Amino acid sequence: MIGNRSTMYRSSLKRSLAHTAIASIALAALVGSATADQPSVTSVLTSSETTVGQPVGLQIQVKGDRNAAPPSEISVEGLEIQSTGQTQSFEMRNFDVTSSITFNYTILPQRAGKFTIPALTLRAGSNSLRTPELTLNVTNSPNQSSQSNRAGGTVDPKKNTFAELIVPKTSAYVGEMIPIVVRVGFEIQTRVREVPPEIDLPGQGFTKQKMRASETQQMIGGKTYQVVSYKTAIAAARTGTIEIGPVEIPAVVMVPQSQRNRSFPQNPFGLNDPTLDNFFNDPWLTASVPRQIKLTTEPVNIEVKALPPNAPPTFGGAVGNFTMAADANPKSVQVGDPITVTAKISGRGNFDRVTGPAFDDEHGWHKYPPSADFKQDDDVGISGTKTFETVLSPNERKDKLPAQVFTYFDSLKEQYVTLRSDPIPVRVEGGTAPFATAPRAAEMAPAPSASPAAVPKKQDILYQLTELPSTPQSFTPFFVRRSFCLAQLFPLLVLLGYVGWKMRQAHLDNREARRREALQHEATDLKRSLSRADASPQEYFSQASRAIQLKTALAKDLDPNTVDAEVAASVFQADENTRVRLRHLFEKSDEVRYSGGGQNGIRLVPPETRTEVLDLIDSLRR
Amino acid sequence: MKQRTYLLWVSVAAIVLSCLATPAVRGDQNPGFAKANQEYSEGRFQKAIDGYENLIRSGQWSANLFYDLGNAWFRLGNFGEAILNYERALAVDPHHPEAAANLVLVRDEARALELKRNGIERYIEAGTSAQYSIAASIAFWFGLFGAARLFFLHRRSAALVSLIIFSTIVFAGAVLALYSLETSNRGRALAIVTGKNIEARLATADNANSVLSLPPGSEIEVLSQRGDWLYAALPNDLRGWIPANAAQRVRM
Repeated sequence: MIGNRSTMYRSSLKRSLAHTAIASIALAALVGSATADQPSVTSVLTSSETTVGQPVGLQIQVKGDRNAAPPSEISVEGLEIQSTGQTQSFEMRNFDVTSSITFNYTILPQRAGKFTIPALTLRAGSNSLRTPELTLNVTNSPNQSSQSNRAGGTVDPKKNTFAELIVPKTSAYVGEMIPIVVRVGFEIQTRVREVPPEIDLPGQGFTKQKMRASETQQMIGGKTYQVVSYKTAIAAARTGTIEIGPVEIPAVVMVPQSQRNRSFPQNPFGLNDPTLDNFFNDPWLTASVPRQIKLTTEPVNIEVKALPPNAPPTFGGAVGNFTMAADANPKSVQVGDPITVTAKISGRGNFDRVTGPAFDDEHGWHKYPPSADFKQDDDVGISGTKTFETVLSPNERKDKLPAQVFTYFDSLKEQYVTLRSDPIPVRVEGGTAPFATAPRAAEMAPAPSASPAAVPKKQDILYQLTELPSTPQSFTPFFVRRSFCLAQLFPLLVLLGYVGWKMRQAHLDNREARRREALQHEATDLKRSLSRADASPQEYFSQASRAIQLKTALAKDLDPNTVDAEVAASVFQADENTRVRLRHLFEKSDEVRYSGGGQNGIRLVPPETRTEVLDLIDSLRR
Repeated sequence: MKQRTYLLWVSVAAIVLSCLATPAVRGDQNPGFAKANQEYSEGRFQKAIDGYENLIRSGQWSANLFYDLGNAWFRLGNFGEAILNYERALAVDPHHPEAAANLVLVRDEARALELKRNGIERYIEAGTSAQYSIAASIAFWFGLFGAARLFFLHRRSAALVSLIIFSTIVFAGAVLALYSLETSNRGRALAIVTGKNIEARLATADNANSVLSLPPGSEIEVLSQRGDWLYAALPNDLRGWIPANAAQRVRM
């Protein structure tokens, strides 16, 4: 009915059957997984206020188990409660399929009063589910504040369409949620091509949301109507009279052409048969054209009252009827560990103004901002449960959590109601004990002139010390004290001395090495000269003695000029023969050096003498 | 060679001796100290406190003086001041057994809150600043002498290289321990709550939300100061503002 209905009628039967079969198979396959969730139950009244004789609906919905058994007979004195059937539904969100079954009841109040529909128990598989208690306020005077406004009047059975704006109250408080229903009905024979999927609620002075359509079939005044209902809830934002509506709902209906052109025969055969007339007048069979129509409701006025003054400090703007349940987890912690405190506020009202409950005594606790989660039980969000989770961290030992306090304004009782949870016992270990319960020695301490015995304690402190150090002590860290820094000078000086000594030693070693290298070089040259035959005796013996001096100096690290035959013999530990030969060589050298003569005219050294000298030099070994 | 080894050991001994120099304790009495002790023994604790505080104001700080002052405050029932002075005694002499014993006793009595320490900090606190300083000094000079020796040796020595590596590790560990001691919540930022009914708050205002109730003697780590308010780390790992006149730093 909603949207372009003509396209639906043009679809072929086979195609529809195929789609239906595929959908059924897919649905059947998904239903199995849908049952995996833990079943839950919600119970909601279509209105919490009504008048005597004015029925309200009760819906009990079980999610997660479509085989749940209905509750046993609901009996409340003063209310006639009758079952109107049950519906099953499947919902798929992101391939997550949930199934639900809804049990519908009609409640017909027989007298005025405040009625409580008790908690009902349902069996869902092996689970036992329990619905919340519901309260229904019934008045018997249509002039009372809880009178329902039904703009558009009763449905006129002479017309095949109707539109009405249903407002259950004529007066309300600022912030109070008022459920609004706009109903549009089309007599069942009317072919409706299009109605808007959502409409807007005109008016000022209240908060509103888009109204979405839902479709049902109802028997009204002996006629069957297709009824499209648009539901929402509004909250008055100011005092005074606010006007809601009129609401205009455009629709497109198919009008039979025969009704527009009376010149055509009522049936093609021209027979005066009422049965055939009815057949050919059936709008589903006759040719029809679309016609745009506009259905309009009457406006409704609501008197909005201000909330009473002197609201409790814990009042945050919640208006309605609520209950609160509190819990905490874990219940045994150490000081500083977090405890998650949960407060579930359930009921009916303006949940957008329901704030986290306050704690009556936060002393000794560190409180973090609460998180909130709302699950609505109805279509418009005025019934449900809002769950607040607050993390508390104990700063000291505690034996119970502080009580949670939530205040709302009860629009039925017309007074503020403060809900207070029972303090939840917990076990907090470590840290210190709570001040309130522990005796304070400091507060019980005596005046300055009191005696030591006046201090209450199990164990006394230790005695006074009577010695002081010779030099004052300091808070300065040891590593920045002057004595420590000065002490570092000693190893520093030692290190510098060591380094200097080693450097000087290296320098000396270097000079000695160069000297030895020069001596070695000279010794090599001399040995080469001694091998030649062209040297004069004076030169030869001088070079020979010098060669021995150099060899001795290199062997014993001596000055070569200080070496004589005796020194060389002792350095090399020469035998007596070698010693004599050395002595003879040095004497010969001195002789030719100081006498100036040369071997009695001998100009060259004989080869045997050279060999003898070279053998002598080579024989000198350590 | 023997001469060099001898010189090296002499150097090491000199370093150790220079580092281990500690003040000697004398037995003779300071007149002011003796008088304050006398007042204490006769039960005139406020006069004893005045005497001890005069000595402190004159700069004659010592662990025993702070300890005695803590005892006097305890007798007057001022647990915050008592704990503060025991902490000061331990800051001056970390191995002061009487101060440590009385501190435990008074903390228990006052139900004062302590700052949390992690495992590494507790392990490091087994040593004192002086011990870590000496260890760092010895390791430093050993490493430096080893490096100098290695430089002049003209050949690689495995023993010498091992000594240098070991010294470097010890030096680094000691320096890290000193850094931790100085910058941890037991370091120079440690303060003790001496006021009563002190609440750490979320902001620098008396009506700001409370973060934590701090009994007298509770430890805090001062992070910064703004006017008459201290911003401090609290025993419950949170941070808050407390009045500056409600807490005193341990290190003077």
